[in-house]
Amino acid sequence: MSDTVKLTIDGIEIEVPKGMLVVEAAKLIQRDIPVYCYHPKLGPAGLCRICLVEIEGMPKLQIGCNTPVSQGMVVRTLSDKANEGRRAVLELLLLNHPLDCPICDKGGECDLQDYSMAYGQGASRLADAKSSKPKAVDLGPTIVLDEERCILCLRCVRFDDIVTGERSLRTEDRGAHAMIATASGSPYQSDFSGNVTELCPVGALTSKTYRFKSRPWDNHRTTTTCMQCSVGCQMHVDVRVGAVQRTMSVPEDDAISDGWLCDRGRYNVGYLTDHRRLTQPLYRRDGEWMQIGWDDAIALWANALRESIAKNGPASVGAIGGGRLLNEEAFLLQHVYRALGSENLDWRTGRAHTAYPGRHVGTPVDLENAQAIVTIGRPPAQTAPVLDLRLRKAVAHKGATLIAVGNHAATPGVRATRVETFAGAVKAIPAGTARVAVVWDGEPFAEFEAFRAWIASLSAETTLHLFVPGEQPNARGAEALGMLPGAGGLDTQTMLEAGRDGKLGVLALLGVNPVLHWPDRALAIAALEATPFVVVSELFMTEAGDLATLVLPACSAFEKTGTTTNFAGDVLPVVAGVAAPPEAWADGDMLVALAEALDIAVPAPAEIEARVRELIAQPSKLPPMPALDSAPRAMVERDTARVVVDASIFSGGGTLAHDERIGALRAPARATFHPQTAAQLDVASGDEIDLGGPGGALLAGLTVALDERLPAGVVALVAGVPSAPLNALRGALSVFVAAKRRPQALAEARG
Amino acid sequence: MASPVVEVLTKGIGELNLRDIAVYRETGGYVQLERAVKELGPQAVMDAATGANLRGRGGAGFPTGRKWSFLPNNGRPRYLVCNCDEAEPGTFKDHMLLEQTPHQIIEGILLGAFAIGCKHAYIYIRGEFQDGFEIMRDAVAQARAAGYIGKGICGTEYDLEFTIHRGAGAYICGEETGLLNSLEGKRGEPRLKPPFPAIKGLYGEPTVVNNVETLAYLPYILRNGVEWFAQAGPERSPGYKVVSISGHVKKPGNYEVPLGVTIRQLIDDCAGGLRDGRTFLGVQPGGGSSACLFEEHLDLSYDFDTIAKAGSMLGSGAMVVFDDTTDFVRASHALIRFYAHESCGQCTPCREGGQWIEKTLARLLDGRGVESDIEVLKSACHGITGLNLCALGDSIEPFLGSVLDRFEAQFRAYVGRERVAS
Repeated sequence: MSDTVKLTIDGIEIEVPKGMLVVEAAKLIQRDIPVYCYHPKLGPAGLCRICLVEIEGMPKLQIGCNTPVSQGMVVRTLSDKANEGRRAVLELLLLNHPLDCPICDKGGECDLQDYSMAYGQGASRLADAKSSKPKAVDLGPTIVLDEERCILCLRCVRFDDIVTGERSLRTEDRGAHAMIATASGSPYQSDFSGNVTELCPVGALTSKTYRFKSRPWDNHRTTTTCMQCSVGCQMHVDVRVGAVQRTMSVPEDDAISDGWLCDRGRYNVGYLTDHRRLTQPLYRRDGEWMQIGWDDAIALWANALRESIAKNGPASVGAIGGGRLLNEEAFLLQHVYRALGSENLDWRTGRAHTAYPGRHVGTPVDLENAQAIVTIGRPPAQTAPVLDLRLRKAVAHKGATLIAVGNHAATPGVRATRVETFAGAVKAIPAGTARVAVVWDGEPFAEFEAFRAWIASLSAETTLHLFVPGEQPNARGAEALGMLPGAGGLDTQTMLEAGRDGKLGVLALLGVNPVLHWPDRALAIAALEATPFVVVSELFMTEAGDLATLVLPACSAFEKTGTTTNFAGDVLPVVAGVAAPPEAWADGDMLVALAEALDIAVPAPAEIEARVRELIAQPSKLPPMPALDSAPRAMVERDTARVVVDASIFSGGGTLAHDERIGALRAPARATFHPQTAAQLDVASGDEIDLGGPGGALLAGLTVALDERLPAGVVALVAGVPSAPLNALRGALSVFVAAKRRPQALAEARG
Repeated sequence: MASPVVEVLTKGIGELNLRDIAVYRETGGYVQLERAVKELGPQAVMDAATGANLRGRGGAGFPTGRKWSFLPNNGRPRYLVCNCDEAEPGTFKDHMLLEQTPHQIIEGILLGAFAIGCKHAYIYIRGEFQDGFEIMRDAVAQARAAGYIGKGICGTEYDLEFTIHRGAGAYICGEETGLLNSLEGKRGEPRLKPPFPAIKGLYGEPTVVNNVETLAYLPYILRNGVEWFAQAGPERSPGYKVVSISGHVKKPGNYEVPLGVTIRQLIDDCAGGLRDGRTFLGVQPGGGSSACLFEEHLDLSYDFDTIAKAGSMLGSGAMVVFDDTTDFVRASHALIRFYAHESCGQCTPCREGGQWIEKTLARLLDGRGVESDIEVLKSACHGITGLNLCALGDSIEPFLGSVLDRFEAQFRAYVGRERVAS
């Protein structure tokens, strides 16, 4: 039986795969059948009725979006009958649609405008007033809805159902009164909300960050790779008057993003023009910050390195960073330091130990096609959100089994089997599963050796794909390009210890902030305080910058060009779409200047590029795993809760903390308990508490939240929240409630 | 002329308490079920439905046996859902059957379920039928106690669960896929087809949705034989039908007749004719969704095919008769206000077209009509039918279109006229 069929569309015979929809087949011969509700990623819905075509032998017009091709089918997309039907539908769609195109954000890229030009009538025949519906509805923290503009294609509702599985959007009322609403009227909150504004074929759904900001034809568009996480989504950047107005997904990016963006990647661009951006190198002399020029800044750094090496040898200098830099920059960083003889190099500044998936590396499509998916540690929902949509697709639409190891926040929208141990996960994988995917957060865990043994034991019939979403966007690149200590070199932990112990002369931190992210905050602070010369390259003044000697204003990923490496090892283009502040430099430029000052030869750009591709293509080695202290640390005798460290795409101190437009999205300082555990610890929802750990560690100022999905006896905390940095607990495995304050209003409400 | 009225489903109504299972059994009730599960087997029941050419009595007139035959043999559970969401304007036959003869419906459902190998049958009852629901609930309890529902029906290996589900008052839930969504607890709006319910229906499984009256005829077809049913009425549209007659007639009500009687017989011999001194203007032969027929159609055979050929439809078998007192602008508005109100709002022509026509008619009636309204009504009528996701959208305009065509003067007279107190 043949897998293709032949059919004729507008007189052109084509051969297409069986089962293809007429609307898709027509695209192959450049016939644009208009659609509103149909979307290739959402499938047919049959609601708008604009895609009418004439099919020979069928008395009625058929919708192209839900009609599969068949052998010998004769389709007319442009016949008088088809055009007449389309014109009728278009007249109805426009009947009550406000013609506020001049002030509508969608104007210029609106399907209703475009098809009205193609098929519409010159004048409305409506003799009554247009129906009126709510306007500027505040749908949630990111989205505004105009019900009058809405043509009820329900792409937004279907996206929220089919793609995210979150089902928080729905239709309310019916008939001509039908409107888009949120389930139970609560705000529309999703990590993927921005996608609905792109799916909306009209101007009904708009982003708060872009409303009334620009006209599409005034935007200058470049395409780059999002550098907010390690997924590597392709992204359009729209710039006008020297500022990023918005970012948009790349619908053709099937291989990586599947055409979606998460809200962090999409909306977190306001920091670029924040008034707190560093715009001049800062040097601390006699305890006072002073602005200096770049020549002086590079000379100070170079001199500090020379002096320290002359006095105490190359082991007295080190650099941490690379995970937020471009490939070329990470390569240059290790190149310069190795040329000085230092092997004190590490990209790791958080909880992850590696970003290397080994020879089982998988692509997003591999994850989507897995039959069983095991997540170890923090699931990808909050570390690699767009990758998580593949996971949801696999589970919700392709029948995959999801097994989550650990007590982390559940993946929204899909059901998971939750297990405590990796051994439990192995048992939960259905017998006969041919394609297994493991998503590991890269953090050491007690059963790591068992995990490796299991990988080695897999039969030839089982295909394993391993995913290690890096904690930083270019973690994989930095690791492959040599930002790990070489023989005799120090890693981040030992570098910080050496710094604390006065054994480091110069420490460089490029785009990293160990004070917020290294699991032991006190160690990071002690190290930076005790190291004589700390140089920090950053966009903003950070907790680490506060303790530095020299702070260098850096370019963001939107302001420089090069490549980055995603979790799967794809080398992806990063393209400057907007100019950096005048005195901000790319880290690569800083490193080239530093090399020059130190008389270190730097390979030509083409050579670097070749070297980058070569290194990333090579199988690297898994960094040695640290021995794990699996026994809970000694605790004082009190009621304690085990710490579960969760991630949030909206935590972090840099680009997020300095983006006022999306302030409402920032992860709150929160401690989440099962209600029973909260009762045992005598805390209630809304209480403000401080948590204590061994050795006097204290995490202050958390608000108590309750979640029945959490197991009893644990407290879930989010890492990287600047106002309540989890690393203040110094890696404590369990904590006690050290102090409790009940807000006045809450106390009164409770009587 | 002699009355064409017969008594099959309507036998005993008004005389016997057929809600009592004992009374129903005395009339031969549940005998056919017992015979089917013990002797005949499922194929025989299916063959009977096919052989009798039992066409669906809910509106579409689709052959029941063929509908059942579409179910795939894929080993998945199958469901039978009895559609008792009768809400078509002018239709009140299922309402009566539900309240008067619940056991007959249950037996029909059980036979249908047995025929297709269904283990769980549902009846979806219109929300407004409070009495009917209570009557059905009690009847189901009696049938269960008597061993006709549940495990091991009539001592055989055949098990059937039975669930009564009440609607919440939406006309659109009478559309079979809207019904299935509602039954699943979802918003009552029709599904995109294909896939059809036979392939992917209730809970995604192969499902048959049959009307109350359709299923209720099954015991009688088994009892009296395929020939008895197939030979009543025209060959391609045979059998009996309960017709709800309302409007300008002396004796409105439900009349059971063999298909193939004339419209004139139904009006004159069943419903007592027009009121004295009135003349006939038109009749809707198949509920609110059907186009109006006129004087020249009165002697047409009342069957699925003849009525369709005349440009209307038999639909659910509800005749609404209009005499010369009728204001067709008001009549059209009353109907279209209903459809616009009941539109689920999913698809464009129904959602937008319904309210446009409704607004235009309301304005005409309000004395604010303009000349262009007549053209708008004509073209809108022409424009929305055939473009919709489900049959509701295609039901909005047939009546208006037909009376506008015939009585355009009535519509034009409203243009520029002062509002007339009703």
